[in-house]
Amino acid sequence: MTTATAPPSGPPPVIGAPHTYTSVTDKIAGIVLTQRTGRGWLFGFMLGLALLGLLALAVTMLLYLGIGIWGVNVPVAWGFAITNFVWWIGIGHAGTLISAILLLLRQEWRQSINRFAEAMTIFAVMCAGLFPILHLGRPQFFYWLTPYPNTMSLWPQFRSPLVWDVFAVSTYFTISLMFWYVGLIPDLATLRDRSQSRIGRVAYGVFALGWRGSARHWQRYEIAYLLLAGLATPLVVSVHTVVSFDFSVAQLPGWHSTIFPPYFVAGAIFSGFAMVIVLAIPLRAAYGLQDLITERHLQNMAKILLVTGLIVAYGYFMEGFMAWYSGNRFERYVQLNRIVGPYGPAYLGCLLCNVALPQLLWLQRVRRSAVALFVVAVFVNIGMWLERFVIVVESLHRDFLPSSWGMYYPTVWDWATLFGSFGIFLTFFFLFIRFIPMISIAEMRMLLEEERGEAAA
Amino acid sequence: MTDAALVRLERRALAVGTAALIVAAVGAAFSPAAFFRAWLVSWLFCLSIPLGALAIVMLHYLSGGSWGIVIRRVAESTAVTLPLLALFFVPVVLGMHVIYEWAEPGAVAADPVLQYKHAYLNVPFFLARAVLYFVAWIGVAAVLVRWSAERDVVPDLDPRRFRLFAGPGLVVYGLTVTFASIDWAMSIEPRWSSTVYPMMFGVGQVLAGFAFTIAAAVLLRDREPFGRLVNPANLVDLGNLMLTFVLLWAYLAFTQLLLIYAGNIREEVTWYLAREQPGWLGVAFALIGVHFFLPFALLLQRAVKRNPVALATVAGLILVMRLVDDYWLVLPGIRGAERFHWLYVVTPLAVGGLWLAAYARRLRGLALVPANDPLVEQAMAAHGH
Amino acid sequence: MTGPRMWGLVAEFESPDALLAAAHRVREAGYRRIDACVPFPVEGLTEALGFRPTWLPLLVLTGALLGAAGGFFMQWYAMGVWYPLNVGGRPLNSWPMFIPITFELAVLVGGLTAALGMLALNRLPMPYHPLFNVPRFARATQDRFFLAIDARDARFERGATAELLHGLGAAEVSEVAR
Repeated sequence: MTTATAPPSGPPPVIGAPHTYTSVTDKIAGIVLTQRTGRGWLFGFMLGLALLGLLALAVTMLLYLGIGIWGVNVPVAWGFAITNFVWWIGIGHAGTLISAILLLLRQEWRQSINRFAEAMTIFAVMCAGLFPILHLGRPQFFYWLTPYPNTMSLWPQFRSPLVWDVFAVSTYFTISLMFWYVGLIPDLATLRDRSQSRIGRVAYGVFALGWRGSARHWQRYEIAYLLLAGLATPLVVSVHTVVSFDFSVAQLPGWHSTIFPPYFVAGAIFSGFAMVIVLAIPLRAAYGLQDLITERHLQNMAKILLVTGLIVAYGYFMEGFMAWYSGNRFERYVQLNRIVGPYGPAYLGCLLCNVALPQLLWLQRVRRSAVALFVVAVFVNIGMWLERFVIVVESLHRDFLPSSWGMYYPTVWDWATLFGSFGIFLTFFFLFIRFIPMISIAEMRMLLEEERGEAAA
Repeated sequence: MTDAALVRLERRALAVGTAALIVAAVGAAFSPAAFFRAWLVSWLFCLSIPLGALAIVMLHYLSGGSWGIVIRRVAESTAVTLPLLALFFVPVVLGMHVIYEWAEPGAVAADPVLQYKHAYLNVPFFLARAVLYFVAWIGVAAVLVRWSAERDVVPDLDPRRFRLFAGPGLVVYGLTVTFASIDWAMSIEPRWSSTVYPMMFGVGQVLAGFAFTIAAAVLLRDREPFGRLVNPANLVDLGNLMLTFVLLWAYLAFTQLLLIYAGNIREEVTWYLAREQPGWLGVAFALIGVHFFLPFALLLQRAVKRNPVALATVAGLILVMRLVDDYWLVLPGIRGAERFHWLYVVTPLAVGGLWLAAYARRLRGLALVPANDPLVEQAMAAHGH
Repeated sequence: MTGPRMWGLVAEFESPDALLAAAHRVREAGYRRIDACVPFPVEGLTEALGFRPTWLPLLVLTGALLGAAGGFFMQWYAMGVWYPLNVGGRPLNSWPMFIPITFELAVLVGGLTAALGMLALNRLPMPYHPLFNVPRFARATQDRFFLAIDARDARFERGATAELLHGLGAAEVSEVAR
């Protein structure tokens, strides 16, 4: 088997402690089937529900009173809603990236983190999808964005990036869900066969679809999984590319920049990996998974964080340089206004979190320390939110014509919707770690077999 | 390819290169403008191979994997051509006033935009930057080549130093290539700018690096024990990497087109308007078809990637298309370069022939399998997945 | 011969290597209606059991191409023919702007073909299978490796086949009720 696995003198193995097929199965399935519900879990789940309640309140108010309860108004019509949309969808990129690209690159260290990273993707895309719909003003007509036969004989405007977004995000959600579910089927069968309760057997059994591990099935399954990965890889890239088109297709200074597609994609991976780190470090501590999510995983993720962070920094730099080089006074003004304008602190904060702090990851000591890595990752998430805020608001609030300049101030409902969206994410995520194995058991067995084969060779 | 065959290749390349150079020099006497344009493109193309190859070597120190062992030595060896390429910059300097509008004092005096950009686009600063780029590239390359040779002799050289060097090395590469592409190619149309252009240029270089080193490795596979490295499993990995860069190139080229097409801003669309003139439009479609769709369709197939000859053929095709793409990027922007000129064919032969002779000379007697790298054993043992 | 109430025999092995060896031997002995049930895909197993490659990649390619063609046609038809709309003076067939949706639909249809096609070719969901009647078979999704021989196989003989399986180092051989 040609893997990029470590030679004897290389980095440590992916699985820490000595494990067998039986012991990995026991350990991971045990978290779901036999472990008692912990206090930490209950606390997290309750927090999720509370935030979900806040979101319900904010959305009810929005639907009842209208979009005016937010701070958006001309010229800044795209405030928090679009910022949050881009931020969440960016976070949703690491999951499928870890699963798909790292699978194709045969980076076997992915197998401990892909399941929950994929789950994270799905929940983050759900959060993301909420915002454009709420932002429509008349959310009940969201289906006008889809091509369907209608009495008005009209089609969506297919030349609009906002329609591309609908296709991109819904395709991404569907394919990510498929990818996740297909990967889950063998583990659901394991849970079905191990569950002690009738409810568990029936519930897991229904979703396991009668999987029995037939070699004939595995043959098609592996091909299907690989093909899904092959399709999902360019899909991940395309989704944030389309999101970047939402801005860059326009002619607005600060938006219309050809580097937006690759730099948005890098930024999405950057923030997505940061979120994976933010979730993985507490999870492995809480459930004692240090032998399955090892130091090597954290190190590798830290390196990806550093690389994507450098690409993002390059994007900022190119925007600045080309604004000067192009000689376009509006472009120059936008760059200047980002630093010294009224939203200056947001941009400087973004530079601090996304450019300055990640440079610490050049140091091995920082990459090896779970705490330091966690802190850097949290700041990256904040920084990436600020970046989207800067992009959305700066270009809108002062464009070509000073007479149409204005300011945007978020209201309490803007903040409530932002924090409330964490309710969706946390509630689903805690349900997921309680009822679904958060590490793929079948893939861990495969990994054991590979390491056994290498040890024998 | 045995040493004798390498000597033959070197002699032939030298003969073709010298002959073409003489013909091109004669042509230059009659139409200097066409010569300088053709020289710039040929030079940029040859330069892209060592630069891309060095980026790949550093990329591999960071990422690991058996594929990199296969092409490490052939890639490192391209570094030996960098001084020659620095020398080949001289005709570009001589032809500056023909190629670059901003280097013409008359044009600058007439245009406020060029005056604004004079702070960056002026002859002394341009030359100083070029010196800086070459110093950086030759310096990075020298370290890589020396350390790699040192490891052959010293068995337990700390492998960490390669990684520690490769990270900053790639940052240096990224920044220098960014500004080199702006200086040498983008500034041909000094009123136009695109933030993704340098990245597209760099991706093209790495793609050329992959295509060239893969083809070279396949041609040299009858050498033992090197031949054992050029096995199907490693070729599949290399083919996939080349495919990735084909896709990346297509992605960046397409998104730039789409954004400029959609924005439809006067200063921006001129770049594409110049490139959809009769003749150039055909080149554009050839790029879509032969630089993207054809390699994409071929490299998706495992059978093609496993077969050394087939893979090398695709690599050769990509290499040719890289040259075409360099022509397409550079020429339509120069006024008066729209018409085809026979020097456009002869000059690449001159530059390429001399370049190849220098490269082939370096390969003679070179140990193509690095010693004392733990990856070598793994790469030799690699079999289909 | 076998009774009508019998589906076949299933043998349990403790390691993937034992299963692989057994699969080779059973096939050499002339059995064709054989299958293995394993907790993870064992390398070389499909070859050992003599399975043909699956059609799935071709189906997915077809799906993706249909998605792309359908997606482009939809946009070209809607924007250029059904309700021609001039946006900023661009041609009605402004193909660069149709590429994003064309691509997304190619991936969507291709991906759905991969996932649903895999399930359909595998005849899943399948709520009941005779093998589930064997109590120890629950470990096929956990840590044991099973080799099953269908009673309809031309070579199948209750006693002889069971003996063969025992001889291959099976930890246990069970009869599977229909």
